[in-house]
Amino acid sequence: MNTIDIKINERSLKVLPGITILQACRDNGIDILTMCHLKGLSDVGACRLCLVEIEGINKLLSACTTRVASNMVIRTDTEKIKRYQRITTELFFAERNHVCSVCVANGNCELQELGYKVGMDHIRYPFLFPECKVDTSHQYFVMDHNRCIMCTRCVRACSEVEGAFNWDVKNRGFQVRVISDFDTPWGESITCTSCGKCLQACPTGALWSKDVVQGQLEKHPEMITELVEKRKLLLT
Amino acid sequence: MNRQEFKDLVIAETEKTKNSTCKHKICICCGAGCISSGSEAVMKKLQEEIIERGLQSEVEIIPTGCMGPCNQGPLMKYLPENSIYQKVDCSNISQIVQSQVIEKKPIEHLLLFADSRERPFSNADEDPFFSKQLKIVLKNCGQLNPERIEDYLVHEGYRALDKALFEMSPEDVIAEIKQSRMRGRGGAGYPTGLKWETVYKYVNDQKYVICNGDEGDPGAFMDRSVLEGNPHRVLEGMAIGGYAVGASKGYAYIRGEYPLAIKRFEAAIKQAKKMGLLGPNILGSNFSFDVEVRIGAGAFVCGEETALIASIEGKRGTPRPRPPFPAESGLWGKPTLINNVETFAGIAPIINNGGEWYSEIGTPKSAGTKVFALAGKINYSGLIEVPMGTSLREIVFDIGGGIQGGGEFKAAQTGGPSGGCIPAEHLDVKMDYEALVNLGSIMGSGGLIVMDQSSDMVDVARFFMEFCMDESCGKCVPCRVGTKMMHDLLQKICDNNASRIDLERLEELAVYVKEASLCGLGGSAPNPLLSTLRHFRNEYETRIGKYEEKHIEVPQTSEV
Ligand SMILES: Cc1cc2nc3c(=O)[nH]c(=O)nc-3n(C[C@H](O)[C@H](O)[C@H](O)COP(=O)(O)O)c2cc1C
Ligand code: SF4
Ligand code: SF4
Ligand code: FES
Ligand code: FES
Repeated sequence: MNTIDIKINERSLKVLPGITILQACRDNGIDILTMCHLKGLSDVGACRLCLVEIEGINKLLSACTTRVASNMVIRTDTEKIKRYQRITTELFFAERNHVCSVCVANGNCELQELGYKVGMDHIRYPFLFPECKVDTSHQYFVMDHNRCIMCTRCVRACSEVEGAFNWDVKNRGFQVRVISDFDTPWGESITCTSCGKCLQACPTGALWSKDVVQGQLEKHPEMITELVEKRKLLLT
Repeated sequence: MNRQEFKDLVIAETEKTKNSTCKHKICICCGAGCISSGSEAVMKKLQEEIIERGLQSEVEIIPTGCMGPCNQGPLMKYLPENSIYQKVDCSNISQIVQSQVIEKKPIEHLLLFADSRERPFSNADEDPFFSKQLKIVLKNCGQLNPERIEDYLVHEGYRALDKALFEMSPEDVIAEIKQSRMRGRGGAGYPTGLKWETVYKYVNDQKYVICNGDEGDPGAFMDRSVLEGNPHRVLEGMAIGGYAVGASKGYAYIRGEYPLAIKRFEAAIKQAKKMGLLGPNILGSNFSFDVEVRIGAGAFVCGEETALIASIEGKRGTPRPRPPFPAESGLWGKPTLINNVETFAGIAPIINNGGEWYSEIGTPKSAGTKVFALAGKINYSGLIEVPMGTSLREIVFDIGGGIQGGGEFKAAQTGGPSGGCIPAEHLDVKMDYEALVNLGSIMGSGGLIVMDQSSDMVDVARFFMEFCMDESCGKCVPCRVGTKMMHDLLQKICDNNASRIDLERLEELAVYVKEASLCGLGGSAPNPLLSTLRHFRNEYETRIGKYEEKHIEVPQTSEV
């Protein structure tokens, strides 16, 4: 198969044309931080953790949405990128309420893991602690907006994989919230099939099942990826 | 209508105007500014007065778009002498008609700027407000009735479209626009010819043209005035764009807060369709082009091209990362040409007069003219159009008549929430894209707010940050959370409650948000902050000093 030459962090690589920079990194064991990306779902470039520097382009671009081009020279590990990843992480933690010790996802949370990865020992910004609801109206599941980081993985899993279109986003700016149907309690949803895919897609303790207790939540976002890939196989 | 019929119609309409018995023309400004100060009532009164005096066959009354000096409205212009009357009131109509129409003498104390100039000009074109301007985009605004296509036809209307369709290939049109060196007027100043060429090169059986009339910057009303004052010019530019890039469908995205612009633009579409200047096989050629209006709900971010496209598609108006750019994958994934209202309005003159003519106006890197919405602490605010490279001093003092109440100029803010401030020491800057960027501001879409000594620059930065914080779409983290954090820090500084560490944090966040955000909203939200820090750092320092005085104890060494 035709390949193109690119360079990532000084390493010369041959990759398939048309893949994203993120894919090229992952295929070659180059670590890159992501949050809004979940393989199998469409990419939105929202969290900005995967920003990379590309020679000749004066802007930082998100690796998950940018495709490789021949002779692209990419850096994923500069001081600036690391500093920005740390700021982004701190802003995630400062935005809502992430007190891990009382969270169901404690020990099994992508956000918490991210904090460790970027070496976040403290948060330099004031906690905003906005007033957020906890929606327990669903028979099996809970949506705790305090833990939501607006990655919209649940929204995409619900629409793109389950095809139910229960989740959407309302408002603007830091007032954005994930909503069920037309901003009605989840338990009253006429679109939710209770499939639980959004729970698996969610990186944090925002979406969980009522049968778990603090620190006991297990998530399998890779399930979404596998499902999508198996479906693709079925179709070809 | 085919080409010959069109030519005949233009000749017939031109003859009709020439042979009209009306020796006097009275234009009433019906731009949104003058309407809000009561020009519709003035027009009604004028019509009654003319009927009462039995002058219907001699005086023609023309409702027009914005004439320029909006804060002096309602404005009334008497032609051919070109005398403009300001702040016209129903009670002085009779007097004006008597004196100007019957006795042929202007009434000096009612003329434009009579209350502030030593002697007003009876021919308004001699007033520095107008004489320093060069109107290309706004040429016929304030002269013709925007609701009558016939008026536009008499003013060279649709001649450029005719020329493009029958005398030029799409490549020729693109070459002409490239030669003009025109740059997009929506803010970023991307070369228009290059953009057209890129869209042209993508092969696809369906392409689109979008006119960006979202104009969300606070204080900006350039695009609104063009759409209200000469909608056909924009329509003609869109059609030429469609022909050049190979698109058969156009959308005009106009914000819902502009009902008059929407009404006039929709009327223009209807009239153009009826005459065969829009729709299938325009003027008998094999080019077909149709335009529809889409109404925006008034989110600033929907002016960003990818968010605007999402909005037209019926989705939530949030931006998506580029590349791919709309030229490659735009509306419904098809190659899409998206330009600003003012950009499209500048196309017909380029086709009519040639790219070379346009390229010679302005500065080497920024050709042509720019429309500005002048506002703030300035004597004459309103809508102006000047050649690129006009100095800020000329704009503020010659055209704008200087600072209100004889105050002192402190700074001019350009580019709205995405721009910055130009301090007094740079009053001689020649306004073009590069010069403004070098000063830490941007040209933006043309908002220009003049500030005097009473303006508090930290508060100006806080104001714009609040705007960006409220208008952030909330999709990406740097902008969603970063603008909120920066706003809160700025508020803290305004309240004299911030320390040096807060300022450091603010500066770090500003650079981060600028570089890490997904779209241009976050990408430029820190600009007003960064530029006030650059030119007015002392105002920040003073406030931090006040905090430190209160909270940091200075050891009293003498008592030891
Ligand atoms: C937050 C934001 C708001 C914008 N608002 C407008 C607008 O109101 N009108 C406009 O023409 N362009 C606006 N733009 C620029 C558009 O994205 C786009 O560049 C422009 O319409 C292209 O037209 P031009 O090449 O003629 O300038 C905005 C950009 C951003 C990032
Ligand atoms: S609920 Fe979870 S998956 Fe959905 S947006 Fe919030 S953090 Fe992301
Ligand atoms: S920069 Fe702001 S407006 Fe643009 S995508 Fe990010 S959150 Fe939305
Ligand atoms: S993973 Fe690429 S922006 Fe979130
Ligand atoms: S609206 Fe009348 S002069 Fe601008």
